[in-house]
Amino acid sequence: MSSTSPQGLRISTPTDTTHVLTRAFNAPRRLVWEATFTPDKMRRWMLPPPGLTMTTCECDARVGGKLSIAWKNDEADPVMTLRGEFTEVVLLEHAVHTETMALASGQTLGSQVEKHAFADQGAATIMTITQTYNSKEDRDGALASGMDEGMEACYQQLDALLK
Amino acid sequence: MVLDRSPRLDLVFHALAHPARRAMIRQLSGGERNLSELAAPLKMTFPAATKHVRVLEHARLVRRRVAGRQHFCRLEAAPLKEATLWTDSFRQHWEARFAAFDTLLDEMKSEEHARVRRP
Repeated sequence: MSSTSPQGLRISTPTDTTHVLTRAFNAPRRLVWEATFTPDKMRRWMLPPPGLTMTTCECDARVGGKLSIAWKNDEADPVMTLRGEFTEVVLLEHAVHTETMALASGQTLGSQVEKHAFADQGAATIMTITQTYNSKEDRDGALASGMDEGMEACYQQLDALLK
Repeated sequence: MVLDRSPRLDLVFHALAHPARRAMIRQLSGGERNLSELAAPLKMTFPAATKHVRVLEHARLVRRRVAGRQHFCRLEAAPLKEATLWTDSFRQHWEARFAAFDTLLDEMKSEEHARVRRP
């Protein structure tokens, strides 16, 4: 399964346990890398699931460096966390990190290994994100959470229109 | 979101998770076929093909009608459409993130330009 949108995002599922997302950005690789792994930049584009607000965002893109993100909602702080560790980093080329999503109760929502790879295309940068899950069920479950966030993005656009 | 816990979607994705059944769906997209027509290109025994058709029927992707000794299968597109809608939202989520990413990169580029211009 593979599809490309007018904006140039290509999503494919080359195996039962992977998603591959490819997107071109109109900026040099250095800036794309910085936006991807610098906490105050990540806060800008990592849109939270509906009803949640990002509280913590830590990211240390070096081998052994930690990734830690937390979200809160009206009832709980934190309500959900994402924790991971970088296992492979070649500056401006690629980075691999583990990540586990969990509820505040400690219940795990799913784990995956994520690889970001960066390549030049003229003055632009192609970013390829490969998400590898433990099982097909886990991968398809991630699609489900994407649904919630996708809907939230739509609602936000609607809000902006109605203002 | 209602679709996240949809037993119907579970059935659809289960049905699509086999190459033989996907091949059958592709064949049926060309119109009604009987069971032997479905089985032949897959080099499959009749009972094996029937088993796959049952999975497709269970997911309501295929409707079967019996005419004499012949079983005819027809594609039902609605559940497929629902599945597409659902995967599209994964795309929307990432499109939204990357759109925010674009805005951020534009800002970073302007800041850099401003910094270079300043002595």
